[in-house]
Amino acid sequence: MTTEQHSAIEAERHDPPHPTPIQYVKIAVVLAVLTGIEVALFYVGDVFGGLQTPMLLVLAALKFVIVVGWYMHLRFERSTAQRFFGTGFVIALFCYGIVLLAMGAFALSR
Amino acid sequence: MTATAERPASTIFQRPTSHTGVWSWITTVDHKRIGILYGYSAFIFMIIGGLEALLLRIHLASANSEFLSAGEYNAMFTMHGTTMVFLFVMPMSAAFFNYLLPLMIGARDVAFPRLNALSYWIFLFGGIFLYSSFLFGSGLPPLGTENVPGNLDAATSGGFLANSPDGGWFCYQPNCGPFYSPGTAMDYWALGVQILGLASLISAVNFIVTVFNMRAKGMRLLRMPVFVWMTLVVAFLLLFALPIIAIALFMVMFDRQFGTLFFAASQGGDPILWQHLFWLFGHPEVYVLILPAMGIVSEVLPVFSRKPLFGYAAVVFAGASIGFLGFGVWAHHMFSSGITPVAQAAFGISTMTIAIPTGIKIFNWVGTMWLGKIRLTTPMLFSIGFVALFVIGGLSGVTHAIVPSDWQQTDTYYIVAHFHYVLFGGSIFGLFSGVYYWFPKLTGRMLSERLGKLHFWLMFIGMNLTFGPMHWLGLQGMIRRTWKYAPETGLEPWNRAVSVGAFMIATSIAIFMYNWWTSKRRGQPAGLDPWDARTLEWSIPSPVPEYNFAKVPVVHSLDDFWHRKYDEDENGRAVRKPDADELIARLEHEGNNPSSPIHLPNPSYFPIIMASGIPTTFYGIIYHTTAWGKALIAVGAVVVLSALIGWGMEPLEEPHDAPHDTPHDTAAAH
Amino acid sequence: MTDLAHAPEHHDEHESTGIDNRKLGMWAFLGSEFLFFGALISNYLLYQGRKGFPGPYPADIYDIPFTSISSFVLLMSSLTMVLAHNAMSRHDRNGTKTWLLATAMLGSVFLGGQVFEFTEFITEHGMKTTTNPAASAFYVLTGFHGTHVAIGVIMLLSLWGIARRGSLSDRHGLNVELVGLYWHFVDIIWIVIFTVVYLIR
Repeated sequence: MTTEQHSAIEAERHDPPHPTPIQYVKIAVVLAVLTGIEVALFYVGDVFGGLQTPMLLVLAALKFVIVVGWYMHLRFERSTAQRFFGTGFVIALFCYGIVLLAMGAFALSR
Repeated sequence: MTATAERPASTIFQRPTSHTGVWSWITTVDHKRIGILYGYSAFIFMIIGGLEALLLRIHLASANSEFLSAGEYNAMFTMHGTTMVFLFVMPMSAAFFNYLLPLMIGARDVAFPRLNALSYWIFLFGGIFLYSSFLFGSGLPPLGTENVPGNLDAATSGGFLANSPDGGWFCYQPNCGPFYSPGTAMDYWALGVQILGLASLISAVNFIVTVFNMRAKGMRLLRMPVFVWMTLVVAFLLLFALPIIAIALFMVMFDRQFGTLFFAASQGGDPILWQHLFWLFGHPEVYVLILPAMGIVSEVLPVFSRKPLFGYAAVVFAGASIGFLGFGVWAHHMFSSGITPVAQAAFGISTMTIAIPTGIKIFNWVGTMWLGKIRLTTPMLFSIGFVALFVIGGLSGVTHAIVPSDWQQTDTYYIVAHFHYVLFGGSIFGLFSGVYYWFPKLTGRMLSERLGKLHFWLMFIGMNLTFGPMHWLGLQGMIRRTWKYAPETGLEPWNRAVSVGAFMIATSIAIFMYNWWTSKRRGQPAGLDPWDARTLEWSIPSPVPEYNFAKVPVVHSLDDFWHRKYDEDENGRAVRKPDADELIARLEHEGNNPSSPIHLPNPSYFPIIMASGIPTTFYGIIYHTTAWGKALIAVGAVVVLSALIGWGMEPLEEPHDAPHDTPHDTAAAH
Repeated sequence: MTDLAHAPEHHDEHESTGIDNRKLGMWAFLGSEFLFFGALISNYLLYQGRKGFPGPYPADIYDIPFTSISSFVLLMSSLTMVLAHNAMSRHDRNGTKTWLLATAMLGSVFLGGQVFEFTEFITEHGMKTTTNPAASAFYVLTGFHGTHVAIGVIMLLSLWGIARRGSLSDRHGLNVELVGLYWHFVDIIWIVIFTVVYLIR
């Protein structure tokens, strides 16, 4: 048995069952719908005024979480992988958020 | 049955098989050899960086000196800093990580041995690429400044020494951009550092996976030596900080080569963005520079105090906190760059906060020594020296955290004093402590204690003489990176003293080199545990056999090896077990005579081949306006791609090995 | 050779996360890529609002319907990717082959769309990398993303090639999964870019 086969067997023993193809397609439909809403918001979202941007961000975040959680299977993955991935995300958000804030990208202090 | 490991024969791609000779070093994937390669390479770069420093100090010993031209001076301080940070301290730490990490966790190699070799070769070629600037680089004055009064033209004048990068080791924009630094000198810097960053990023992934997945049974995370923990924290720091500088360097490269406007101030680009991006990397980077030394000291002090590390968990968590908080303080390098008062206050506070976990470590080190049975061997002297000197450097660091105080200190010699205390008194002393401590494990011999102590005291006095006076020189107004200072400033006498100190340091290093050279040949033979130490690497023969452990150990506690030798009496004092000597003898014998063949990862050509393609492409980028430059880009890319394919197709195991289920005897062969 | 090291249950001998080395390495690498793309996205956000320099600015010339379609294409490639991985885990060689190729094709369509978009911007609208900082930021951001997609397509085609030769064995299962993780990551970065760079003003 090679390393890969060994790992695969171990993975099968420990991994919770993956979604079925039908479920994956359903997820894809959800993603497509969310994208559609986003594009629609782009065109008519002015009616929401200042809420347009947060709404777009929420939609994007939803798509992000869905792909990460279900397609990348991170929701069901061992915590170590979640931590590696999540830490990078958090550090990026924090550091770049502060840089943008400090440099006036959000037009708050300047 | 002899002590040699079984090495599978080659198949279609003729994987190299020899384990002696130059070729075996070129194709090695053995972490110990890679560690040795890093060590010697880093040491050579240290000598070069040290010579650059000596040139600077000869020049600065006199007021209004013309020993170095302005252009040469700029190049020397730039290359000195760049070399010491990227080509000495980081690779020397890598030498320790590489050699020791698998040994300390009871593994046979790292998770990805070929990737490990790749990291080394990329580093070496990157360093050579950077230094080739002395031959091929050109520092030119900014365009249209020929008639501008002042030193703009002189700023790049000089002999071949002025060909190399001259914009400071942090390359502020737009000074180091295409307009103010035409010519190719800064291209070598930007692309060279880019190459070096790639090497470290690959290493970081390797070490993280190794620590998480390849520890011996029973070696839970909180039973790992502190040095391993610090390696892990450093790997995470590199993993998350290097991409930031990679982008920043790409931006500089695009600005310089292709006319983009990232940092072109007059056309909407923002030089402050460079500072943010650089220091977002640069601050975690300084923790990358110090944490390995802290890890070493945490190993050495307990052994020579005959006491366990005081507050192991606290030291581990403090180290992790330093790493984490290290991402929150970067703008303290920018207090005088025009950031808002709110930002200054916030970063001042976060900077002061990071002193807390650092202080915890200091107290714990002192607590380790307190009431211990101290043996003042050379490694111990260097570790104690580390603690003392790092405290001094840390204190000046705390004064920088106070924003108005920093406005006075920044860009003066006070800052130079601070970072040399923490980097020299800290990192370098820690690394030397490690060298003296682990030399027996590496070579099976002891370094001379006499020469070692001479080295230590000369270096200690020299270091303080060099960097101590820089504190008041800075406060008296000596500006950092100043080419000349006038005699009326009164700065000359102490500058002289500083230069004398620098030569003392150089002498001490010469003594060390002599010690290394003679002790390798004629040093006192060391057994497997000459220091009566605590961690796993001391339970295997010296020098370490190729396969590390004849039998992978099972670990039952922190400092497992120590507990196999010592019990504790009712007062908590260590009592040597009656069979301890017999244990050592048995380990020596078993360690050299494994009971069954051990498969090791095969050597490979592809790491060095792939590594060679990268600087080739980068040379092409610098000269991309020429036909041969474009050709070089293509050639380099083809080399990398071919090596990648070859790497992927290389047989990992021989056909006759296939039935063997050996994923944990072998390192995962990647 | 009946050494302990060869005993069947010896995978318990190591303290390990239980995640294969290469998979763990991939997760760590992807975590670091957030810092890579984060810098580029932040840089764009910073420069896009700085007016007063020669135009056009990227936001002036976006073709949202076009980009929406290519975003949709990339999103669907994540579906085909996960179907490829699913087929692989069920030992469905043909299915794996098909879905790997589908993913590579969709990725290539996306890339084609990017090339078309850039060409339009440069020739029709006159926005080059050197026009203004926002343009520099835009091109370098989407350029790096596109490069990542291209590398992904090459990896997919390599796996497809191996599958076509009939050499795709169980031991490649992890490779498909690793390429999948990489591919999904490239997709989520685009999810962010599409919203934050194209849609939000």
